[in-house]
Parts: sequence; structure tokens; C-alpha cells
Amino acid sequence: MEFANHIILIAAALITFSIFAGVLSSRIGAPLLLVFLAFGMLAGEDGLGGIKFQDFRLAYLTGSLALAVILFDGGLRTTREQFRHALSPAIVLATAGVAVTAGIVGVAAHYVLSYSWTEALLLGAIVGPTDAAAVFLLLHLRGLRLKPRVGSALEVESGLNDPMSIFMTLALVGLAAHGFPKGGWGETALQLGLDFLWQMGGGLLFGLVGGQIVLRAVNRLKFSAGIYPIFAGALALVVFAGAQSVEASGFLAIYLVGTTLGNNPHRATVEISRFSDGLSWLAQIGMFLMMGLLVTPSKLVGVLVPSLAIAAVLILVARPAAVFLSLAPFKYARSERAFISWVGLRGAVPIFLGTIPVLEHVRHAQAIFSIAFVVVIASLVIQGWTISWAAKLTEVELPPRPAARARVELDLPAGVGQTVVAYTVDPMSLAALRRMARMPLPQGTEIISIMREGQVRNTLPSDGVREGDIVMLLTEPHSLAQLDRLFAARKTRARVKDIGSVDFKLDGSANAGSVADMYGFLVTPHERDHTLASLMHARLGRDIDEGARIRAGNVELVALSIGEDGSPRRIGLDLDPPPPQSAATRIRLRLAEVRNSVKDLFLS
Amino acid sequence: MELEDLVSPEGVIAHLKVTSKKQALQELSARAAALTGLSERTVFETLLERERLGSTGVGQGIAIPHGKLTELTRLYGLFARLETPIGFESVDDQPVDLVFLLLAPETAGADHLKALARISRLLRNPAVVEKLRASDDPAALFAILTEPVATHAA
Repeated sequence: MEFANHIILIAAALITFSIFAGVLSSRIGAPLLLVFLAFGMLAGEDGLGGIKFQDFRLAYLTGSLALAVILFDGGLRTTREQFRHALSPAIVLATAGVAVTAGIVGVAAHYVLSYSWTEALLLGAIVGPTDAAAVFLLLHLRGLRLKPRVGSALEVESGLNDPMSIFMTLALVGLAAHGFPKGGWGETALQLGLDFLWQMGGGLLFGLVGGQIVLRAVNRLKFSAGIYPIFAGALALVVFAGAQSVEASGFLAIYLVGTTLGNNPHRATVEISRFSDGLSWLAQIGMFLMMGLLVTPSKLVGVLVPSLAIAAVLILVARPAAVFLSLAPFKYARSERAFISWVGLRGAVPIFLGTIPVLEHVRHAQAIFSIAFVVVIASLVIQGWTISWAAKLTEVELPPRPAARARVELDLPAGVGQTVVAYTVDPMSLAALRRMARMPLPQGTEIISIMREGQVRNTLPSDGVREGDIVMLLTEPHSLAQLDRLFAARKTRARVKDIGSVDFKLDGSANAGSVADMYGFLVTPHERDHTLASLMHARLGRDIDEGARIRAGNVELVALSIGEDGSPRRIGLDLDPPPPQSAATRIRLRLAEVRNSVKDLFLS
Repeated sequence: MELEDLVSPEGVIAHLKVTSKKQALQELSARAAALTGLSERTVFETLLERERLGSTGVGQGIAIPHGKLTELTRLYGLFARLETPIGFESVDDQPVDLVFLLLAPETAGADHLKALARISRLLRNPAVVEKLRASDDPAALFAILTEPVATHAA
């Protein structure tokens, strides 16, 4: 009895303290996940806690469960938009990219550590997968928004590359533990190829079919609201475990179940999404804590130097090579490729994968586990700390959207796919600044009631809404972002130029020649007859993101909104843009900024 | 580039009675014609041509119609406060009640851009806009427009 209480106490206290530590760490910008990892190590056998935890079997079990939960949540949050932006590049990054990464790291490991090829490649496969959760946590904490093409590619990639790495790790562990089958190379390759097809094809099938089953079950069956998230989660785990038990990729399957649920209208949207969010946090914290506990820091010292060499190869050679090769067929700017290369952050997955060789008694398994551990720490420290800097330097950052303030969501018990939301009108919001009665609500959105000074009104007051009014609306989930923009404060940050603050707004279909004459810039005779939109395409290529700018004489043209066809519909005219900067100037300014913020840190 | 160099006290209208965008542009063209000696029709057509590229209603109830004319020798500004707000096809669909008209010579180049930027920045300042809406006397409006920016901050 007492034993059970102690375990609960220790686990709960560890989680509580690591969350506190995480809050503190975000003030100095340290990657949150690193803090959890460090906390686990601190509690472990070489640290203050002195807890001895060496159960790799238990670690593997909880690690699988945690990863499944994280991937489910990741899927739930990945929108159709993101797939549209980045599915093909993400698939290539997650398959060929992981293979290239593993290959290059493997070569390095073979020569640095003089491992056999199988063991060296195994290490490469283990450190292969990126962790978007790590990336996005960092970005969200700093309120950074990435260009959709870049952010989506990273996010979808990280959802898809775990199954690939797991497949490679398992295959290589099999070869390392049991040796090559008698049939020689040809047969081995054939067998691996078939395994790969079965794993991915099976995972795909399980995921798509399972996703529909979960979706239908959630929408058909009637429970009390609190049951839905548990039901959906349990059913998703059934799909996961079902796929795993026939040796198809359960990780791919549960990610797809998440995306199916996340992109189709279903009951209890809010409950499921909140529950899954909380659970995924718990899984992240638990996984990092446990992996921190599992490792014996004193054993890391022995492999520190080769580990750092492997980390350097991974960060500086393998990842950039994988990204540049994988993205070659796609239109990405050099700076975008550079950013995607740099934020190949490694999270808990490599450490989790590192437990597999230990369980299968592969030679050097303990060392491989330790190396994976050091690589993850190095990646979190070096790449994690510099991520917002990298985003600015490569200009993949977008100005922040206003933060939603006081949005309350209610789930409709009867209706599927519609939600009721309530906003407290912010004094600085578009809705409050507009004194007119007419408000451009998104299609399918209706005002249910407005509460002002405790009085409920069923119609829009003649003077429109005011600061402090509570507006209740019936809407569709995809309109929420638009409503946030309407009711939340329009904050602008000094550092990023607000794309909304252009001087004039022109139509994408306006004649380029007339605009050029009016604002004194030069266009080629050929471009004169074009529209402004095609002028921007000519300079920027096919894909134009919201906020993209081109210089034209002394003014700049800014894509303000992108139409269905991918062309800018509204183009802003910035009469007074900052003078063009060379890369050197940009770096110098950034260094000055860093210096000042360090100074602030010490003076305050 | 200071606004005094663009607007004269005669170029400020405290109560312009118009009911549509077209009428507003016509009325302002007439006033501009009187000030500059150009034909009303030329000014009006120049302004319309610019509106075709996208409305100069910049949002928050403000419009800054502008255009270039070969016959001009310097920049001319006119400011009008409308009696009743009118639709202007603005980006935010909000009716417009403050209009700043800027006419520039064909050769103005950088000066034209600087003046436009200056006007646009001034009318994006909520303190200035509030004061403009609150006064209905041409002299007071002229004073607000030409006041140095720093004093608006309070």
C-alpha cells in the first residue's frame, strides 16, 4: 500500500515540479522539453533524487503509448489546409529525407565509432525523426507565425517520419540481433521492401478505415459529453494496437485517425480537442521525464565526444543534405530550405527508439542509447535556442495574428459541425472600432444575442457593438480564425511590420502599367499589360504567401490576401518601406538586438 | 514635406454635402479646379482612373483619392469633412467621412510619394482623426492638419 502511494507521490511531484520549471524556463527562452529532460536526469540516480530506474521494457511500453497519443493529437491539429500546402514535400522529407539522414549519420558513425555498418546505420535511423511538437511549442511560446508552406511542411513531416524511422530501426535491429538471413543481400532487400510496403500500406489502410470508424462511432452513439474524448481516444488506440499486432505501422494509423477526426465535423469537438491536448502534454512531459530518468548521466561522459561529433554531422551535414535533396523537386526558396534544415529538431522519439536495441540486446546498444540522448540534447539546445533567430534571418516569419481574447466555445449537443462561441469585445478590436451597424460576418455565421450591461439583446444595437459587450454567435469551426480577427485586439509588434498597415490597397487585377506610372516605378514593356497579381507571380514564382513583398522603385507591393487560385487578390502598397538591407546589415542589427536583450536581462 | 506646403486654408472644407462617392469626387474636382485653374473634367477623370485600380478608401472612414496631372506645376492638397458619411467601396466597407485629395504634377516622382505617405501616416493617427471629426470650422481643421505630429500624442 505504502509503496503505491510513494510511486503516485513521486510521479505527481515530478510532473508538478517540471511544469513549474518549464514556466520559469520560458522566460529565458530555454526549450521547455529540455527542461523536462533535465528534470528527469536530476531526479535520477546520478542527480539529487537518486531514483534508480532502469526498466527499459516499461520505458518502451510507456514510450509507445505516449508517442501514439502525441501523434493522435498531432493529427487532430493538422488541417486539410496544411496537407494541401505541404503533403508531397512532407512525404518525401519523411521517407527519402529520413533515409538520407540515416545514411549520412551512419557513414559518420561507422568511421567515428568504428561500428559495423548495420549498427552505424541503426544509430542513423534512431536519430532520424524530427519532432514538430518541439518546434511548434517554441514558436508558439514566442508568438511567431511561420509561412504556411514552411510551417506545414515541418509539421506534416514530423507526423509522418516517425513511422519511417521506426520501420528502419526495427529492420536494422533485426539484422543486428539475428544476423543476415541466409539468402544473401538480394533476398534481404526484397524482404525489407515487402516489410516496408506492408508496414506503410497496412498503416495507411488501418488509419483511413479506422478513422472513418472512429468518426462514425463518435457521431452515431450518444454518451454524456465527458465520455466522448475517452471513447475516441480508446478507439484510436484500438486501431493503433490492432495495426501494430499485425505488424503494420500503428503510428501511421493513429496519426491518420487523428487527421480524419480533426478534419470532419463531429460531436464534442471541443471536449475531444481539449482532452487530447492535455493528454498529449502529459505524454510529452512523461516521455521526457522518463527518458531523463532512464539514462545514467555518468555513462554519457564516456561517449560525449563521439556523440557531439555525430550531432554536428546530423545538424550541419545530414539534415541539410536530406532537406535540399528532398525538396529539390519542389519550389522552395533557398532561405526556406535553410530554415527547414535548421529546425530539424530532435525530440523524445530518438531516445524512445534508442530503447529498442537495448531490449533486443544488440551490440553497443547502451552506447547507442546514450549517443541518441546526447544528440537530442545538443539539438534541443543549439537548434531550439536559435529557432526564432533563424526564422527572422531567413524571413519565413509572418506578422502575428491577433490573439483570441475571451473566446468561449460551446459545443452544440444536437448539431454536428456548428459551434456556439461567445466573445467579450476588446476595446482595440475591429468590431469595437467600427461604429457602423453592419459587420462583415463570415458566411454561415449568425449573431444569437448581444449582452450589454447585463441586458440581453437579440438584435445588433444600432451603434454596433461596443467594448465590453458579450457577443454570442452561431458559426462553423473554420470561421473561428476570421472571428478572432474581428473581435480580438489588433496588436502589432514593433519588430515585425504589420502587413495590415500598408498605405493603399489595390486590386490584384489592376493594370501593372497604370500602377507603375502612378507610383513611379519601372516595369518592362511586356509587363505593362499584365495585372499586378501576375507581376508578383513573375517576381516570386507560383506560390505566394500572404505577406510576401516585392520591391518596385521606392515602394513595395505586399500580397494581403490570396485567392482560391493562389493569386494575390488584394495587394497592399507600402509607400515608405524600410530601405533594402544586405544580409550583413541584417545580421549586424540582429546582433545589436541580442546584445540589448541580454543587457535588459541583467539590468532588470 | 510639411502639409502646409500642400494645403492652403482655402483648400479645407468643413461641411461637404454629398450623397455618393461619385458626387464627392465631382464636388472635390470642382474645388480643385477652382484652386489650380485646371478643367474640372480632367481632374475628375484622373481621380476616377485611379479608383479603378482599387478604392482609395483606406478604412476607418478615411479616403485619400489622388492622381497625377501633366498640367500641374506643384502638389495640391484638399481636405473635406463630409456632412454625412458615404459609401466609398473602402477595404473595410466602412462609410467615409474624411477625404484628403492630393494632386501631383506628372514629374513629381519622389515628392508625390513622400506627400502621400505623410498624409496616410497622419490620417492613421487615431488622435488626429478624432480631433478632425470633432471640429467643424475650416480654420480649426487647417490648424489640426498642419500641427506638428508630436503634439497629437497627448
